[in-house]
Amino acid sequence: MEIKIKICWVIALHAEARPIIEAYRMKIFSNELIFPVYINHETGHALVISGIGTARSAAAATYLKTLLSIENYAAWVNIGIAGFFKEPVGKIYQALKVLNCHDNQAFFPGLRLSDYVQGSPLLTVSKPELNFASRVLYDMEAAGFCEVAPLFSCNELTFVFKVVSDTPMTKFNNSKKFVKGLLENNMEIISKLLMQIEEVVAEEEKRLRMPEEVKEVMAIFHFTESNRHNFEMVYRKWRSTFPDRKFDEVQPPENSAKALINNLEKELLDEVKDWTLT
Amino acid sequence: MDFDVIETIFVEEAINDHPTTGHILKSLPRAQFIEISRYQEIFNKRHQNFRLQKKNPCLILAKKHENFVLPAPAGFGMNSNLNFYFSHMYNCIYDCRYCFLQGMYSSAHYILFVNYEDFFKAISETIEKYSDNSLTFFSGYDCDSLAFEKISNFANHSLNFFSDHPSIELELRTKSIVTSPLIKREPLRNCIVAFSLSPKKIANILDKKAPSISLRINALKQLAKAGWSVGLRFDPLIYCADWETMYSELIAEIMHDLNPRSLHSVSYGPLRFPKKMYKKIFTLHPNDKLFSFPMKEKAGIISYGTEIEDLMSKFIKNELNKYTSHNKIFRCAV
Repeated sequence: MEIKIKICWVIALHAEARPIIEAYRMKIFSNELIFPVYINHETGHALVISGIGTARSAAAATYLKTLLSIENYAAWVNIGIAGFFKEPVGKIYQALKVLNCHDNQAFFPGLRLSDYVQGSPLLTVSKPELNFASRVLYDMEAAGFCEVAPLFSCNELTFVFKVVSDTPMTKFNNSKKFVKGLLENNMEIISKLLMQIEEVVAEEEKRLRMPEEVKEVMAIFHFTESNRHNFEMVYRKWRSTFPDRKFDEVQPPENSAKALINNLEKELLDEVKDWTLT
Repeated sequence: MDFDVIETIFVEEAINDHPTTGHILKSLPRAQFIEISRYQEIFNKRHQNFRLQKKNPCLILAKKHENFVLPAPAGFGMNSNLNFYFSHMYNCIYDCRYCFLQGMYSSAHYILFVNYEDFFKAISETIEKYSDNSLTFFSGYDCDSLAFEKISNFANHSLNFFSDHPSIELELRTKSIVTSPLIKREPLRNCIVAFSLSPKKIANILDKKAPSISLRINALKQLAKAGWSVGLRFDPLIYCADWETMYSELIAEIMHDLNPRSLHSVSYGPLRFPKKMYKKIFTLHPNDKLFSFPMKEKAGIISYGTEIEDLMSKFIKNELNKYTSHNKIFRCAV
């Protein structure tokens, strides 16, 4: 079965991941992997548990990408708990700027989803933060995640959400139940965010994904690298010009890539006199 | 445009205390403000998606450090003057399908350089350097000159500056109908407000988020009536079935009751892209009919091809000649 994963979750802790795994009915993919991976083929969700730290987060995201050959229109989501300079504990934020405290590298992930979450800058630190000196969120993974996830799709499909777990007023409670509860209590907001993200993914899929009829032709015809590129481009043009035409009608009998490209180009040229913009 | 849709403003540390920054932040009270070191850390990042960013761009307030004034590319304006341009802003609030900015920048965020005083200092120096020449300065090469005026107030500053230099021309190029900053002041004889125009049917499809052609024509006529010099810019010329009728009707509608003396110049230019830029834009819009046309490549430029270009250029020129003298008409060849 072909796996079409559209949402990839990268989460540090099991306790943070559990509400997401349950909400999207994901199952463990295999027990023998470097990082635990959960998946639901039907809903198109995959989740990897990275462990704590930037290196692990980046490595786990890369691992998931490679393991499942994730397409370039999938969204990448890092969600988890974070310290914050102010109350209330339990509130969810979208990270708008992620700064790696280690090397001062800045990232600006995601489209702003302000209908459901407020935004905040986030500082990724290497040790748990106790002082909360800046007016930002504090976590230990996002910068690592943000360094690699945009390479797999794009910056605008890379999202970081954090739920406040501790503040100068509230000490961190590291019980699994408490951490799981923080995420669980935000599942309604998270599912609304996901619906918005899925819309963007669908749009990107429409733009980037080559239709099956192209893949079939690619398998039968012999394309040089340059021909393949020309074919993909002229096919796109032909298809948007003739959305209702059958592709079989323009395929030459001799399975020649060059002849196919010529046929498509000729059809476009024949249309010039009556060209419309819609 | 409702500028409240701007939700996030990134501000360079260096201009945090600049008065223009203060004005802009005050005019967008609902937006969240986040400090950054330099605009390049967000604007020049790789793996950005211009198309997705265009849904909801952020505003970046930055300081420009160099290249305040640059020579305009040959063929951009009328050849009688020495032409320069300045870019106080990168990117535009409109989303015109043919816009070259989407092929030039990897980010759709708006950058506004708030150190206006340095632009005017550089313009002054250029004027002094070329004191024996007739000069034209173009605003709106990397943005729309008026569309962001409610927030930036840059055109207002420009008009104040150029009112002290009456022999130097300033061209504001726009699709905006925000004419109030101009209407409320005495017209500047050395300022040309140049409107980019296409036939209605074409603009309705391609000029996304921009004011309708009827509104643009109304705005330019209002300005002309108020004594401002206006320019007409048919650039790019868009090819489709029945283009002759569409352009002929458009030109007739514009020229109807427009005082010929208020018309400074009319330019037209074919649709064309450098090859690399075209490929990038095609990738952003692979299913758009505008880019499905079987374009031709010549000397690294993608266009409709010489035959269509010449046909359209000749036709537009003939139509324009019915209404205005030939010395006001020029073909933009950039």
